[in-house]
Amino acid sequence: MIDCPNGDIRDLLPDLLHDRLPPAQRIEVEGHVASCDACRAEFALLRDLRGTMARVPKVDTTAIAAAIPPYRATARRSWVGWRAAAAITMIAAGGTSVAILNHQGAATVDHTQVVSSPSVPTSRPAEVTSPALSVPVGSGATAEPSAPASPTQHGSSAATPAPEPSAEPSIAMASGAVNELSDRQLSELIDEIESLDVLPSADVESASTLLPPISTDVGHE
Amino acid sequence: MTDIALPTDERTDLDLIVRWKAGDERAATQLVERHATAVARFVASLGAKGDTNELVQDTFVRAFASIDGFRGESSLRTWLFTIARRLLLDRRRSIRRRGEEVEVQEGDAITEYDSLDSVVADETQRRLRHAMERLSPTQREVFTLRVSEGLSYKEIADAVGTTEGAARVHYHNAMRAIKEFVDD
Repeated sequence: MIDCPNGDIRDLLPDLLHDRLPPAQRIEVEGHVASCDACRAEFALLRDLRGTMARVPKVDTTAIAAAIPPYRATARRSWVGWRAAAAITMIAAGGTSVAILNHQGAATVDHTQVVSSPSVPTSRPAEVTSPALSVPVGSGATAEPSAPASPTQHGSSAATPAPEPSAEPSIAMASGAVNELSDRQLSELIDEIESLDVLPSADVESASTLLPPISTDVGHE
Repeated sequence: MTDIALPTDERTDLDLIVRWKAGDERAATQLVERHATAVARFVASLGAKGDTNELVQDTFVRAFASIDGFRGESSLRTWLFTIARRLLLDRRRSIRRRGEEVEVQEGDAITEYDSLDSVVADETQRRLRHAMERLSPTQREVFTLRVSEGLSYKEIADAVGTTEGAARVHYHNAMRAIKEFVDD
Protein backbone atom coordinates (compact mmCIF):
# COMPACT_ATOMS: atom_id res chain seq x y z
CA MET A 1 0.00 0.00 0.00
CA ILE A 2 1.55 3.27 -1.13
CA ASP A 3 1.26 6.59 0.66
CA CYS A 4 -0.35 9.57 -0.95
CA PRO A 5 2.15 12.44 -1.18
CA ASN A 6 -0.54 14.83 0.06
CA GLY A 7 0.19 14.65 3.76
CA ASP A 8 -2.39 17.28 4.66
CA ILE A 9 -5.19 15.21 3.22
CA ARG A 10 -3.91 12.03 4.87
CA ASP A 11 -3.83 13.89 8.15
CA LEU A 12 -7.53 14.62 7.81
CA LEU A 13 -8.69 11.10 7.00
CA PRO A 14 -9.46 10.17 10.63
CA ASP A 15 -11.49 13.38 10.90
CA LEU A 16 -13.38 12.42 7.78
CA LEU A 17 -13.96 9.02 9.32
CA HIS A 18 -15.49 10.63 12.41
CA ASP A 19 -17.31 13.29 10.47
CA ARG A 20 -15.46 16.05 12.22
CA LEU A 21 -14.71 18.19 9.20
CA PRO A 22 -16.43 21.46 8.38
CA PRO A 23 -18.64 21.11 5.29
CA ALA A 24 -16.30 22.86 2.86
CA GLN A 25 -13.29 20.89 3.99
CA ARG A 26 -15.21 17.67 3.97
CA ILE A 27 -16.13 18.21 0.33
CA GLU A 28 -12.49 18.89 -0.47
CA VAL A 29 -11.21 15.78 1.30
CA GLU A 30 -13.94 13.54 -0.06
CA GLY A 31 -13.17 14.81 -3.55
CA HIS A 32 -9.51 13.96 -3.13
CA VAL A 33 -10.22 10.52 -1.72
CA ALA A 34 -12.52 9.77 -4.61
CA SER A 35 -9.75 10.45 -7.09
CA CYS A 36 -6.78 9.06 -5.15
CA ASP A 37 -6.30 5.29 -4.93
CA ALA A 38 -3.80 5.54 -2.08
CA CYS A 39 -6.07 7.70 0.06
CA ARG A 40 -9.07 5.56 -0.74
CA ALA A 41 -7.19 2.46 0.37
CA GLU A 42 -5.96 4.19 3.51
CA PHE A 43 -9.43 5.43 4.35
CA ALA A 44 -10.82 1.92 3.95
CA LEU A 45 -8.07 0.60 6.21
CA LEU A 46 -8.90 3.21 8.83
CA ARG A 47 -12.54 2.22 8.73
CA ASP A 48 -11.64 -1.43 9.24
CA LEU A 49 -9.28 -0.55 12.08
CA ARG A 50 -11.94 1.50 13.76
CA GLY A 51 -14.30 -1.46 13.54
CA THR A 52 -11.66 -3.72 15.02
CA MET A 53 -10.94 -1.39 17.90
CA ALA A 54 -14.63 -0.94 18.59
CA ARG A 55 -14.71 -4.46 19.99
CA VAL A 56 -14.31 -3.99 23.71
CA PRO A 57 -15.71 -5.83 26.68
CA LYS A 58 -19.10 -4.49 27.58
CA VAL A 59 -19.02 -2.08 30.47
CA ASP A 60 -21.78 -2.02 33.05
CA THR A 61 -22.83 1.61 32.83
CA THR A 62 -25.59 1.12 35.41
CA ALA A 63 -23.14 -0.15 38.00
CA ILE A 64 -20.70 2.62 37.17
CA ALA A 65 -23.35 5.29 37.51
CA ALA A 66 -24.51 3.76 40.79
CA ALA A 67 -20.97 3.93 42.16
CA ILE A 68 -20.79 7.68 41.65
CA PRO A 69 -21.39 9.46 44.94
CA PRO A 70 -23.67 12.51 45.10
CA TYR A 71 -22.10 15.82 44.34
CA ARG A 72 -20.40 17.56 47.20
CA ALA A 73 -18.80 20.88 46.59
CA THR A 74 -15.15 20.40 47.28
CA ALA A 75 -13.84 22.62 50.00
CA ARG A 76 -10.96 24.39 48.39
CA ARG A 77 -7.78 23.48 50.17
CA SER A 78 -5.87 26.67 50.15
CA TRP A 79 -2.27 25.64 49.86
CA VAL A 80 -1.38 29.29 49.77
CA GLY A 81 -2.98 29.68 53.17
CA TRP A 82 -1.10 26.71 54.58
CA ARG A 83 2.13 27.98 53.19
CA ALA A 84 1.56 31.44 54.61
CA ALA A 85 0.76 29.97 58.01
CA ALA A 86 3.88 27.82 57.90
CA ALA A 87 5.99 30.80 56.86
CA ILE A 88 4.60 32.94 59.67
CA THR A 89 5.27 30.18 62.17
CA MET A 90 8.83 29.81 60.97
CA ILE A 91 9.44 33.55 61.09
CA ALA A 92 7.96 33.79 64.55
CA ALA A 93 10.03 30.89 65.83
CA GLY A 94 13.17 32.23 64.20
CA GLY A 95 12.56 35.73 65.46
CA THR A 96 12.02 34.49 68.98
CA SER A 97 15.25 32.52 68.84
CA VAL A 98 17.18 35.51 67.58
CA ALA A 99 15.67 37.73 70.24
CA ILE A 100 16.60 35.27 72.98
CA LEU A 101 20.13 34.92 71.66
CA ASN A 102 20.54 38.66 71.36
CA HIS A 103 19.21 39.14 74.84
CA GLN A 104 21.71 36.65 76.18
CA GLY A 105 24.44 38.36 74.20
CA ALA A 106 23.46 41.69 75.63
CA ALA A 107 23.62 40.32 79.12
CA THR A 108 27.09 38.95 78.47
CA VAL A 109 28.40 42.26 77.18
CA ASP A 110 26.78 44.02 80.05
CA HIS A 111 28.58 41.88 82.60
CA THR A 112 31.86 42.19 80.79
CA GLN A 113 31.73 45.92 80.63
CA VAL A 114 30.69 46.29 84.20
CA VAL A 115 33.64 44.22 85.29
CA SER A 116 36.09 45.98 82.99
CA SER A 117 35.26 49.42 84.30
CA PRO A 118 34.03 49.06 87.81
CA SER A 119 35.40 52.31 89.12
CA VAL A 120 33.99 54.63 86.53
CA PRO A 121 31.18 56.60 88.03
CA THR A 122 28.83 56.78 85.18
CA SER A 123 25.16 56.59 84.92
CA ARG A 124 25.58 54.18 82.05
CA PRO A 125 27.80 51.50 83.49
CA ALA A 126 27.26 49.17 80.62
CA GLU A 127 28.44 51.60 77.99
CA VAL A 128 31.27 50.25 75.95
CA THR A 129 32.60 53.76 75.65
CA SER A 130 33.79 54.00 79.17
CA PRO A 131 36.56 56.54 79.70
CA ALA A 132 39.06 53.76 80.08
CA LEU A 133 38.40 52.56 76.55
CA SER A 134 37.77 55.78 74.71
CA VAL A 135 40.26 57.58 72.58
CA PRO A 136 40.62 61.19 73.65
CA VAL A 137 40.26 63.09 70.47
CA GLY A 138 39.09 66.20 72.13
CA SER A 139 35.57 66.60 71.02
CA GLY A 140 32.48 64.80 69.93
CA ALA A 141 32.94 61.20 70.86
CA THR A 142 35.12 61.88 73.85
CA ALA A 143 32.62 64.19 75.38
CA GLU A 144 29.99 61.58 75.31
CA PRO A 145 31.27 59.01 77.78
CA SER A 146 32.17 61.50 80.44
CA ALA A 147 28.68 62.60 81.08
CA PRO A 148 25.21 61.26 80.77
CA ALA A 149 23.72 61.79 77.41
CA SER A 150 21.96 65.03 76.95
CA PRO A 151 20.48 66.51 73.82
CA THR A 152 21.98 69.92 74.50
CA GLN A 153 25.50 68.56 74.70
CA HIS A 154 25.50 67.90 71.03
CA GLY A 155 24.40 71.36 70.16
CA SER A 156 21.07 70.22 69.11
CA SER A 157 17.82 70.98 70.69
CA ALA A 158 15.96 68.58 68.59
CA ALA A 159 13.30 66.55 70.20
CA THR A 160 15.27 63.41 69.60
CA PRO A 161 15.38 61.75 72.95
CA ALA A 162 18.67 60.72 74.39
CA PRO A 163 19.15 57.14 75.37
CA GLU A 164 17.70 56.34 78.69
CA PRO A 165 20.41 56.12 81.33
CA SER A 166 19.07 52.83 82.45
CA ALA A 167 18.56 51.47 79.00
CA GLU A 168 20.19 48.33 77.66
CA PRO A 169 23.73 48.77 76.38
CA SER A 170 23.48 50.12 72.90
CA ILE A 171 26.27 47.91 71.60
CA ALA A 172 24.40 44.79 72.58
CA MET A 173 21.00 45.71 71.35
CA ALA A 174 18.87 43.22 69.58
CA SER A 175 18.74 43.47 65.85
CA GLY A 176 15.19 44.70 65.91
CA ALA A 177 16.11 47.61 68.21
CA VAL A 178 18.45 49.15 65.65
CA ASN A 179 15.51 50.26 63.62
CA GLU A 180 14.12 52.10 66.59
CA LEU A 181 17.18 54.31 67.11
CA SER A 182 17.15 57.94 66.20
CA ASP A 183 19.84 59.43 64.01
CA ARG A 184 21.56 60.79 67.00
CA GLN A 185 21.55 57.46 68.76
CA LEU A 186 22.92 55.80 65.69
CA SER A 187 25.67 58.39 65.56
CA GLU A 188 26.54 57.61 69.14
CA LEU A 189 26.57 53.95 68.41
CA ILE A 190 28.98 54.45 65.54
CA ASP A 191 31.22 56.53 67.74
CA GLU A 192 31.20 53.82 70.32
CA ILE A 193 32.08 51.19 67.78
CA GLU A 194 34.97 53.33 66.58
CA SER A 195 36.22 53.58 70.10
CA LEU A 196 36.61 49.80 70.20
CA ASP A 197 39.80 50.07 68.15
CA VAL A 198 41.77 49.56 71.29
CA LEU A 199 40.36 46.10 71.63
CA PRO A 200 42.08 43.16 69.97
CA SER A 201 41.27 43.44 66.37
CA ALA A 202 39.88 40.53 64.47
CA ASP A 203 39.26 42.25 61.22
CA VAL A 204 40.21 40.85 57.89
CA GLU A 205 43.17 43.06 57.46
CA SER A 206 44.98 41.81 60.53
CA ALA A 207 44.02 38.24 59.79
CA SER A 208 45.43 38.53 56.33
CA THR A 209 48.81 39.37 57.72
CA LEU A 210 49.04 35.81 58.98
CA LEU A 211 48.85 34.51 55.47
CA PRO A 212 51.57 34.70 52.86
CA PRO A 213 51.05 37.53 50.44
CA ILE A 214 49.48 36.59 47.17
CA SER A 215 51.72 37.53 44.37
CA THR A 216 49.98 39.23 41.55
CA ASP A 217 53.02 38.92 39.36
CA VAL A 218 52.85 35.29 38.35
CA GLY A 219 55.48 35.64 35.75
CA HIS A 220 58.29 36.04 38.25
CA GLU A 221 57.54 32.87 40.17
CA MET B 1 -7.39 21.89 10.64
CA THR B 2 -7.81 18.79 12.71
CA ASP B 3 -8.65 20.66 15.88
CA ILE B 4 -12.33 20.72 15.28
CA ALA B 5 -14.40 21.37 18.34
CA LEU B 6 -17.57 19.59 19.15
CA PRO B 7 -19.43 22.46 20.70
CA THR B 8 -22.76 20.71 20.91
CA ASP B 9 -21.42 17.63 22.64
CA GLU B 10 -19.27 19.65 24.97
CA ARG B 11 -22.12 21.97 25.80
CA THR B 12 -24.26 18.95 26.52
CA ASP B 13 -21.57 17.53 28.79
CA LEU B 14 -21.33 20.78 30.66
CA ASP B 15 -25.10 20.99 30.96
CA LEU B 16 -25.22 17.48 32.35
CA ILE B 17 -22.49 18.31 34.84
CA VAL B 18 -24.45 21.34 36.01
CA ARG B 19 -27.56 19.22 36.37
CA TRP B 20 -25.69 16.56 38.32
CA LYS B 21 -24.29 19.18 40.64
CA ALA B 22 -27.82 20.38 41.21
CA GLY B 23 -28.78 16.91 42.40
CA ASP B 24 -29.96 15.24 39.21
CA GLU B 25 -28.45 11.74 39.41
CA ARG B 26 -29.79 10.86 35.97
CA ALA B 27 -27.38 13.37 34.54
CA ALA B 28 -24.49 11.30 35.89
CA THR B 29 -25.97 8.20 34.31
CA GLN B 30 -26.22 9.99 30.99
CA LEU B 31 -22.63 11.09 31.18
CA VAL B 32 -21.53 7.54 31.93
CA GLU B 33 -23.52 6.23 29.01
CA ARG B 34 -22.02 8.81 26.70
CA HIS B 35 -18.40 8.12 27.56
CA ALA B 36 -17.96 4.77 29.30
CA THR B 37 -17.48 2.72 26.16
CA ALA B 38 -14.91 5.12 24.76
CA VAL B 39 -13.01 5.07 28.05
CA ALA B 40 -13.15 1.27 28.08
CA ARG B 41 -11.84 1.15 24.53
CA PHE B 42 -9.04 3.48 25.44
CA VAL B 43 -7.91 1.59 28.53
CA ALA B 44 -8.12 -1.65 26.56
CA SER B 45 -5.80 -0.13 23.99
CA LEU B 46 -3.42 0.68 26.82
CA GLY B 47 -3.29 -2.98 27.77
CA ALA B 48 -5.62 -3.11 30.75
CA LYS B 49 -6.01 -6.77 31.55
CA GLY B 50 -9.31 -8.11 32.78
CA ASP B 51 -10.08 -5.09 34.93
CA THR B 52 -11.45 -2.79 32.29
CA ASN B 53 -14.84 -2.41 33.91
CA GLU B 54 -13.30 -1.68 37.29
CA LEU B 55 -10.90 0.78 35.77
CA VAL B 56 -13.65 2.58 33.91
CA GLN B 57 -15.71 2.75 37.08
CA ASP B 58 -12.78 4.13 39.06
CA THR B 59 -12.23 6.67 36.33
CA PHE B 60 -15.76 7.98 36.60
CA VAL B 61 -15.80 7.95 40.38
CA ARG B 62 -12.53 9.87 40.44
CA ALA B 63 -13.73 12.27 37.78
CA PHE B 64 -17.02 13.05 39.49
CA ALA B 65 -15.31 13.41 42.87
CA SER B 66 -13.10 16.13 41.43
CA ILE B 67 -15.53 17.56 38.92
CA ASP B 68 -14.89 21.06 40.23
CA GLY B 69 -11.39 20.67 38.84
CA PHE B 70 -12.76 20.25 35.34
CA ARG B 71 -12.69 23.68 33.78
CA GLY B 72 -13.83 22.75 30.31
CA GLU B 73 -10.48 23.61 28.75
CA SER B 74 -10.56 20.21 27.08
CA SER B 75 -13.54 18.05 26.32
CA LEU B 76 -14.90 15.93 29.14
CA ARG B 77 -13.96 12.80 27.23
CA THR B 78 -10.36 13.90 26.88
CA TRP B 79 -10.31 14.65 30.59
CA LEU B 80 -11.69 11.19 31.31
CA PHE B 81 -8.99 9.65 29.12
CA THR B 82 -6.37 11.52 31.09
CA ILE B 83 -7.75 10.25 34.40
CA ALA B 84 -8.08 6.68 33.10
CA ARG B 85 -4.53 6.73 31.82
CA ARG B 86 -3.19 7.96 35.17
CA LEU B 87 -5.18 5.38 37.06
CA LEU B 88 -3.84 2.61 34.89
CA LEU B 89 -0.26 3.80 35.21
CA ASP B 90 -0.64 4.16 38.99
CA ARG B 91 -2.06 0.68 39.18
CA ARG B 92 0.82 -0.72 37.20
CA ARG B 93 3.34 1.06 39.38
CA SER B 94 1.65 -0.29 42.47
CA ILE B 95 1.68 -3.82 41.13
CA ARG B 96 5.28 -3.45 40.06
CA ARG B 97 6.20 -2.35 43.58
CA ARG B 98 4.69 -5.55 44.87
CA GLY B 99 7.02 -7.41 42.55
CA GLU B 100 4.46 -8.73 40.17
CA GLU B 101 5.26 -8.86 36.51
CA VAL B 102 3.16 -6.39 34.62
CA GLU B 103 5.53 -5.27 31.96
CA VAL B 104 3.57 -3.90 29.08
CA GLN B 105 4.89 -5.72 26.10
CA GLU B 106 3.97 -5.61 22.51
CA GLY B 107 0.58 -7.21 22.18
CA ASP B 108 -0.68 -6.43 25.65
CA ALA B 109 -3.04 -3.82 24.34
CA ILE B 110 -5.01 -6.26 22.33
CA THR B 111 -5.23 -8.97 24.96
CA GLU B 112 -8.50 -7.45 26.02
CA TYR B 113 -9.87 -8.58 22.73
CA ASP B 114 -8.50 -12.09 23.12
CA SER B 115 -11.62 -13.31 24.84
CA LEU B 116 -13.47 -12.33 21.73
CA ASP B 117 -11.33 -14.52 19.52
CA SER B 118 -14.01 -17.12 19.22
CA VAL B 119 -16.49 -14.48 18.19
CA VAL B 120 -14.26 -12.67 15.77
CA ALA B 121 -13.64 -15.05 12.99
CA ASP B 122 -12.99 -12.55 10.34
CA GLU B 123 -9.50 -12.92 9.01
CA THR B 124 -9.15 -9.25 8.20
CA GLN B 125 -10.07 -8.25 11.70
CA ARG B 126 -7.65 -10.75 13.16
CA ARG B 127 -4.92 -9.47 10.94
CA LEU B 128 -5.57 -5.89 11.89
CA ARG B 129 -5.48 -6.82 15.56
CA HIS B 130 -2.11 -8.41 15.03
CA ALA B 131 -0.98 -5.28 13.26
CA MET B 132 -2.06 -3.24 16.27
CA GLU B 133 -0.19 -5.62 18.55
CA ARG B 134 3.04 -4.73 16.84
CA LEU B 135 2.78 -1.06 17.63
CA SER B 136 4.68 0.41 20.51
CA PRO B 137 2.51 1.29 23.52
CA THR B 138 2.73 4.98 22.72
CA GLN B 139 1.92 4.48 19.06
CA ARG B 140 -1.02 2.32 19.99
CA GLU B 141 -2.28 4.84 22.49
CA VAL B 142 -2.10 7.71 20.03
CA PHE B 143 -3.43 5.67 17.15
CA THR B 144 -6.42 4.49 19.19
CA LEU B 145 -7.31 8.02 20.22
CA ARG B 146 -6.98 9.26 16.67
CA VAL B 147 -8.69 6.48 14.76
CA SER B 148 -11.06 4.95 17.26
CA GLU B 149 -12.05 8.08 19.15
CA GLY B 150 -11.43 10.67 16.47
CA LEU B 151 -9.55 13.03 18.74
CA SER B 152 -7.52 15.84 17.28
CA TYR B 153 -3.77 15.91 17.81
CA LYS B 154 -4.28 18.67 20.33
CA GLU B 155 -6.71 16.56 22.32
CA ILE B 156 -4.41 13.56 22.11
CA ALA B 157 -1.52 15.67 23.31
CA ASP B 158 -3.62 16.79 26.30
CA ALA B 159 -4.71 13.26 27.10
CA VAL B 160 -1.32 11.57 26.98
CA GLY B 161 0.84 14.48 28.05
CA THR B 162 2.78 15.09 24.89
CA THR B 163 2.90 17.64 22.10
CA GLU B 164 0.75 17.89 19.01
CA GLY B 165 3.78 17.36 16.83
CA ALA B 166 4.82 14.23 18.68
CA ALA B 167 1.27 12.89 18.53
CA ARG B 168 1.21 13.44 14.78
CA VAL B 169 4.53 11.63 14.34
CA HIS B 170 3.33 8.69 16.46
CA TYR B 171 0.14 8.46 14.44
CA HIS B 172 1.89 8.42 11.07
CA ASN B 173 4.54 5.96 12.26
CA ALA B 174 1.77 3.68 13.51
CA MET B 175 -0.09 3.99 10.24
CA ARG B 176 3.02 3.12 8.28
CA ALA B 177 3.75 0.10 10.50
CA ILE B 178 0.21 -1.20 10.12
CA LYS B 179 0.33 -0.80 6.35
CA GLU B 180 3.60 -2.68 6.17
CA PHE B 181 2.17 -5.50 8.25
CA VAL B 182 -1.01 -5.68 6.21
CA ASP B 183 0.97 -5.67 2.95
CA ASP B 184 3.20 -8.57 4.03
